[in-house]
Amino acid sequence: MSGEASDEPYAAGPTAGLEGRDLEDRPEARTILESRDLSVFYGEEQALQSIDMEIPEKRVTAMIGPSGCGKSTYLRCINRMNDLIDVARVEGEMLFNGKDVYDDDVDPVALRRRIGMVFQQPNPFPKSIYDNVAYGLRLQDNTENLDEKVENALKKAALWDEVKDRLDESGLDLSGGQQQRLCIARAIAVDPEVVLMDEPASALDPVATSQIEDLIAEMAEEYTVVIVTHNMQQAARISDKTAVFLTGGELVEFDDTDKVFENPESDRVEDYITGKFG
Amino acid sequence: MAADTANEFGQVSRRVGIAFRYLLLASTLVGIVTLGFLLVYVFNDAIQPLSADPGWHLTFFLTLVLPGLATGWWCLQRGYATFTTGLVGFFLPVLASLYSGAIAALFIDVIPTLVWLAFVVAFAVPVGVFAILQQPTVDLPFLANVALIGGSAIGSLLVIPGLIQSFPTVPSGWVVLLITLGLPASLLLARNLSDRWGQRQGRIAGLVAFLAVGAAGPLGTATGFGAIPAVVLTLFAGVPTALYVAIVVTERPALRHGLLLPAVLVGGSLLGAALVSAVGFAGPESWVDWSFLTSTVQSGDAREVGIYPGIVGTVLLMFVVAVVSFPVGVGAAVYLEEYAPDNTFTRIVDVNISNLAGVPSVVYGLLGLGLFVRYGGARSGTLIVAGATLALLILPIIIISTREAIRSVPDSMRQASYGMGATRWQTVRNVVLPRAFPGILTGTILALSRAIGETAPLLVIGAAQVFGVPDSWSSTIGAMPLQLYVWASTYASPEFYTTVLAAGIVVLLTAMLTMNSIAIFVRNKYQQR
Repeated sequence: MSGEASDEPYAAGPTAGLEGRDLEDRPEARTILESRDLSVFYGEEQALQSIDMEIPEKRVTAMIGPSGCGKSTYLRCINRMNDLIDVARVEGEMLFNGKDVYDDDVDPVALRRRIGMVFQQPNPFPKSIYDNVAYGLRLQDNTENLDEKVENALKKAALWDEVKDRLDESGLDLSGGQQQRLCIARAIAVDPEVVLMDEPASALDPVATSQIEDLIAEMAEEYTVVIVTHNMQQAARISDKTAVFLTGGELVEFDDTDKVFENPESDRVEDYITGKFG
Repeated sequence: MAADTANEFGQVSRRVGIAFRYLLLASTLVGIVTLGFLLVYVFNDAIQPLSADPGWHLTFFLTLVLPGLATGWWCLQRGYATFTTGLVGFFLPVLASLYSGAIAALFIDVIPTLVWLAFVVAFAVPVGVFAILQQPTVDLPFLANVALIGGSAIGSLLVIPGLIQSFPTVPSGWVVLLITLGLPASLLLARNLSDRWGQRQGRIAGLVAFLAVGAAGPLGTATGFGAIPAVVLTLFAGVPTALYVAIVVTERPALRHGLLLPAVLVGGSLLGAALVSAVGFAGPESWVDWSFLTSTVQSGDAREVGIYPGIVGTVLLMFVVAVVSFPVGVGAAVYLEEYAPDNTFTRIVDVNISNLAGVPSVVYGLLGLGLFVRYGGARSGTLIVAGATLALLILPIIIISTREAIRSVPDSMRQASYGMGATRWQTVRNVVLPRAFPGILTGTILALSRAIGETAPLLVIGAAQVFGVPDSWSSTIGAMPLQLYVWASTYASPEFYTTVLAAGIVVLLTAMLTMNSIAIFVRNKYQQR
């Protein structure tokens, strides 16, 4: 596995990440996702206020902010999960590889096959571990070498050693942290370009949380990871870029993580990060 | 000092609360006790236990009741799971035998086995075509798939039945059942057990099942029991019971002591019966006996009449009702829960389905009469008309219970599926329906057990009041409740009320209660997952 390079900075204590991830040794990242003037309304209420953001490829981008600030809404705009909510309405552009995902000729189902998602509550299907991971592959009729692909996905999700002898047991029999890693394996089995994570560790205990964090750091070698989190230390530990949303659906600051945490431009962000509110 | 402080709290009066509690208890008991009295009366009339020799009672008390109670108590001491294992081990073969009796009756009287064979082959052809098209190597456009499957279905239904029925030599009835039911069941068994016990054991189990069903045919002929009943009984009661025992012994060895309970109950009954006939104790002059269950006579003579036509009619009706109402009801529920937009139309449909569930059944009878007989031109009182009418009656109940089951599937499952890039159809098929299925099944069985007791709609659509065993899909038909109604009206006499009618009620209630208990069993089994 490709863990060694990234293990060292993130395995350390919560403050270690404040130096940010070491971006200098990597080439400048290409922008894979870009929102332009993106606003979202739930009925009359505006949940996001014309957000402009550029998310780099194969980096971890964190979105933090108090409850109800629109960070999850933004995440769900990326793979059009907001389409499932009847009252949600989106204005502006969300460019994925330069193509607006809200164009009429974009099939949201096809889009979601390229942009995977991991949810807050671990939500494996009540099927076997194997069938959970194979779910996306089977949806796409991509069943050649299925065993091998399932094994690879479980290995990438650092779950293989724990479950290799009981692949036909129900995914619901696993512990919470294992379930969440199973959900990550399920998301990356179809080899998406982007993995969206909506507070993936907030329902887990500290040990499981740190396993997930290690995993996210490794995933950034291959995938673009966009993660919503409540936990500022977590954002500081694992992300390359951080976006701070504040109440009202406003993007207040978006920059390299170490810059945001050490020297934020906005006073409100500084107040939020230092815990004066939120 | 301490005592003084304690006394200051005093007592708070609970008199009203206690009175309220016992009032609630009383209102709970009113219905149950009244119904209990009625049932005791009915069972007493139907079975006449007091007409038996005291020695008969004593013998069975000593051989069956005492050992049964003792074993049951012993199982309970070992754990509740052991006890329920024993109960299932007893009721599974009993219920399965009852239902196999009904199935055997169908093959003997209603559906000639040759016709059955013809239609099974005719249906197997499109299924085979479908299976071939599902192979990953076959890649045809969607419309070509549909056309091939539809074409083969229509073609084989038109050609094959005639072809098979014109064969010069045809296999005998039990061989047909062995091929059409025993073979697929054995293959299915072998496949499923291969997953559980390993390939070799699974294949052996499947082969044993097939050979047992095959051996039952000649054995049934030789003993005079009849080849078809023997095959059906072995397949639908013998094989499931053996499978249950095998699964308990191999996979739940801790619970295997529970199997002692059915062994004691069955052994006790046999021993008791042997003793009673050896000593010559007279049994009760029960009205629920073999001749009552199998007689087709319809007359005013209480000694002669039988409920057999009613049983066959009810079984056929339930089949038609299930085939019509299940797909329509589940389809409607899936649409309303998963697809329907939240608009005025949906809300109107919503409200009206709840109202339809409460419409009196006689109104559905009128609807059936108007729709199928007056407009549809069907002959009144036929199986199809009666079945379709009862299907309409329970449709709202199936829709409501299915929607309940679908709603109980957590939304996070759907989100996960959509997040993986599943279409709505893939989500419904792979996530929602499998998870909701036990609930759907339970609701459907309960709805069917409501339909089984309906009389009014059958009367309105002109179902036969004096009827024989139906011999085709278009013959007029009756059902058990209708037969009870006729006995209570046309042939009404004090003798009928206390004998045949009571026996008929016992049979009807047994059918209904077994269906309900199957529904409860299914629900409990899957709730534990």
